[in-house]
Amino acid sequence: MIGSILVKVGFAAALASAVLYYWNARKHSGRELLLARAAFHTSVVSLMTAAAYLLYLILTHQFQYTYVWNYSSTDLPLSLLISTLYAGQEGSFTLWALYTAVIGVFLMTYTSRKGYESEVMSVYSLILSFLMLMLVVKNPFALIWNTFPNDLIQTGPIPPGMANVVILDAATQIWARFPVEGKGLNPLLQNYWMVIHPQILFMGFSAMAVPYALAIGGLWKRDYSSWIRVSTPWSVFGAMVLGTGIILGGYWAYETLGWGGFWGWDPVENSSLVPWLVCVASIHTALTQRKSGSFVRTNFALSLLTFITVLYSTFLTRSGILGETSVHSFVDPGMWVYWLLLAFILLFGGIGFGLLFIRMREMPKVQVEHSLLSRDFALFLGASALTFVALFVLVGTSSPIITSIAKGKASAVDIQYYVKTNLPLGIVITLLSGLGQLLWWKSSRVMSLLRRLLVPAVVGVGVTTIVLLLGWEEPLILLFVFCSGFSLAANVQVAQEIYVGNPKFAGGAIAHIGIAVMCIGFVTSERYDSKRTVSLEKDKPVEALGYRLTYEGYKPVENGKFGFVVAVEKDGKSREVAPVMYFSEFTQSVMRHPDLINYLSRDFYVAPLSLEEATDETKEQTIELAKGSNVAVGPLSLSFVDFDFSNFQKGAMLEGKGFEIRAVIRVEEGKGKENITLVMKQGPEGVEFPSVQYKTTDGKTIDLRIAQVKPDRDDRDKSKVEVAVKLPPDAAGATRKGETLLVEASVKPYINLVWVGTVTLVVGFLLTIVRRIKEAGLRHQGEEDV
Amino acid sequence: MKPKIIVGMVVIVAGIVLSAVNFVESNVEYGDFATAQRSGKKMQVKGEWVRNQESFFDAKSVTFVFYLKDDNGHTEKVVLDGAKPNNFDLATSVVAKGKFEGDHFHATEVLTKCPSKYEGDAESVKRTL
Repeated sequence: MIGSILVKVGFAAALASAVLYYWNARKHSGRELLLARAAFHTSVVSLMTAAAYLLYLILTHQFQYTYVWNYSSTDLPLSLLISTLYAGQEGSFTLWALYTAVIGVFLMTYTSRKGYESEVMSVYSLILSFLMLMLVVKNPFALIWNTFPNDLIQTGPIPPGMANVVILDAATQIWARFPVEGKGLNPLLQNYWMVIHPQILFMGFSAMAVPYALAIGGLWKRDYSSWIRVSTPWSVFGAMVLGTGIILGGYWAYETLGWGGFWGWDPVENSSLVPWLVCVASIHTALTQRKSGSFVRTNFALSLLTFITVLYSTFLTRSGILGETSVHSFVDPGMWVYWLLLAFILLFGGIGFGLLFIRMREMPKVQVEHSLLSRDFALFLGASALTFVALFVLVGTSSPIITSIAKGKASAVDIQYYVKTNLPLGIVITLLSGLGQLLWWKSSRVMSLLRRLLVPAVVGVGVTTIVLLLGWEEPLILLFVFCSGFSLAANVQVAQEIYVGNPKFAGGAIAHIGIAVMCIGFVTSERYDSKRTVSLEKDKPVEALGYRLTYEGYKPVENGKFGFVVAVEKDGKSREVAPVMYFSEFTQSVMRHPDLINYLSRDFYVAPLSLEEATDETKEQTIELAKGSNVAVGPLSLSFVDFDFSNFQKGAMLEGKGFEIRAVIRVEEGKGKENITLVMKQGPEGVEFPSVQYKTTDGKTIDLRIAQVKPDRDDRDKSKVEVAVKLPPDAAGATRKGETLLVEASVKPYINLVWVGTVTLVVGFLLTIVRRIKEAGLRHQGEEDV
Repeated sequence: MKPKIIVGMVVIVAGIVLSAVNFVESNVEYGDFATAQRSGKKMQVKGEWVRNQESFFDAKSVTFVFYLKDDNGHTEKVVLDGAKPNNFDLATSVVAKGKFEGDHFHATEVLTKCPSKYEGDAESVKRTL
């Protein structure tokens, strides 16, 4: 009750704030400004209270709330219990709205200092109000008896001794029962990544709304240039946070979920990558505008698109439209959410691009002649390539929508599509990220450029050679490696030069170093990985991929899960992995988690496949025998001769007395032939199938018995019989085998480059944010002086 | 027009055409077993796992074997590379991606669809009362 009210108050306050800010922007009276701020703060406070209240409900196990019941249970540890706050759709929208609100508080102070508050906050509040409308529709505080009225609401007197009952209407004796235990959290989400990854990802999503709001502010105020300075620190912040979130998600998939790699081109992954690419492209074109005044329209368009692609991605992954074309199961959230998300895209797309269209004609047309050998042109090309990657990924991810419109049948693209389309663009991007840094603004002299190109080109060749030592690859992949190596060296060179002058300006170069290192890591770990399926019998070492593996048995780990301990020996040093397999009640199936050893130059990755029980006793096998055809079993060849009804009395069967059916089976062993008779006896205690022992020529015993008779009434020759055969252990061809663990082992060379590159990239982003915030501040002081 | 712009346009148009071709080529169509058998192409076949026919993990070839009945009621043996997928037992429908090889459908990937898997339903409410 309280929760639902808080959400509605928050929504109304955010909407009021948007309207009040709008009035203030038009009239500049100042009275509306205070009201608008108060409304925004009201919205933030009610949202925070609502989230805190939801958390309280989860922590105190109030299963009368559908959300709490659906995603948590009493056996979860505290950290995971907290993470169920955003495990479901309602909750993740709450988290998104919450971060949007918190960022809004900072944005308010920031924009009021820059003179943009009314315009920007008006748009931003509208965004917040839409997110909160989502919570009004998909209410996380829904009561469970309203969700399942037919099953829980009852009338009449309450039976004595019944706990967990709530009286809805005492006068008419209407009451409801509610659960004592929750359904629990999906085991795939039950690990520490769940605590941190969604938080960062949603903070990134929220941050992407800021460049959008600032771009609208710029268009509104007809300020086509200085908004860029105000906006850039936020774009860089958004790119940093979202980028970190994406890579963490990749690491989660790699390390825990066992997808085998850190990137699978899955819709969920793609849909966070696309806004990131657009945002990074906008950071680059913004740089050009600050230097030369060009790309005014491009910058508006890209900043608007950054947020619109966030909305479109949310639509793709949350509306249920991708249906069954992905590994992820997308729960259909109902028509309301579908249409609301669609309205969300159309509204904010319409506002943004409508306004851009109106203002387009009056924007200054800056005629700048870009030399082909200028940093401006390299930035333009690089940003275009990034935008095209974003476009192609978006088209690929939207494939089910495109194909269902074009062909009437939804189908997804193969992963190959993404690799093929993006590889050439990747080559262009990595090349430019190095080359662009070596070029001067406006134009560069060819001779001095060539001299600076020498070292990076040599390093590029060097890196490619090292990679070639791992094995041959496609020329395009090798070109990509060369360009990454080239970019790495070029940016190290540039970073050094800048560092001598002003270390704070090295952010861009450092970020590019990070990207280049990551790209090299992508190729070595994904293209040069070696994989093998290994069957590990207990305590018997097996050599695989240059490692000596010994399965040592399983041990219970936390709550009902089992770790399968494998000793991994390499160069005399032994280490241990313990991949996990267990049966999950929640998903009703076996869950598997890989384990890995991280060496400096590679990962050794072990994914469990299955555990084969020890074969102490050979299992009985059942074979069907028809007349005239032989079936081989172990050393024998069996065929069905006929039923023998000589002892059969129809009268006895009809009277329900005991009777026998005999089947004559021909057994051939080598050249020897023998007919044996198997019997099925119907006695007073039921059916019996006594077995017959057959002695083989080498003195082993094989047990034979009838499993089932299949007489054909119309055509006696079509009658069949099923015979159960139990072979002695070695006759089956299999010797006694111990418990066997089946795993897929793989080696991922230089995967650490990916993680080192990520950290470097984040450091580069941080330095850039600091620099751009200072720049935005300087500009502001300059204005005041005038 | 300046040659620079013309070259740029040509590159962009060529890029878009190439990726459009790529898009169409890498789109794995949905179909039934009959079409997959006739065309011999890689396809996605949606159907239901036939639970009363054998299904086992073959440790030697590292494949999971099961029988799938497509939407036309046609049942075929499916050999999937790898182990039995998580959630397989819960799946209401299964999508196998692959092509025919001799007597069986060789799947490289299997998608499982469990509509109300994580959303609570009335049955699960009753269990937790």
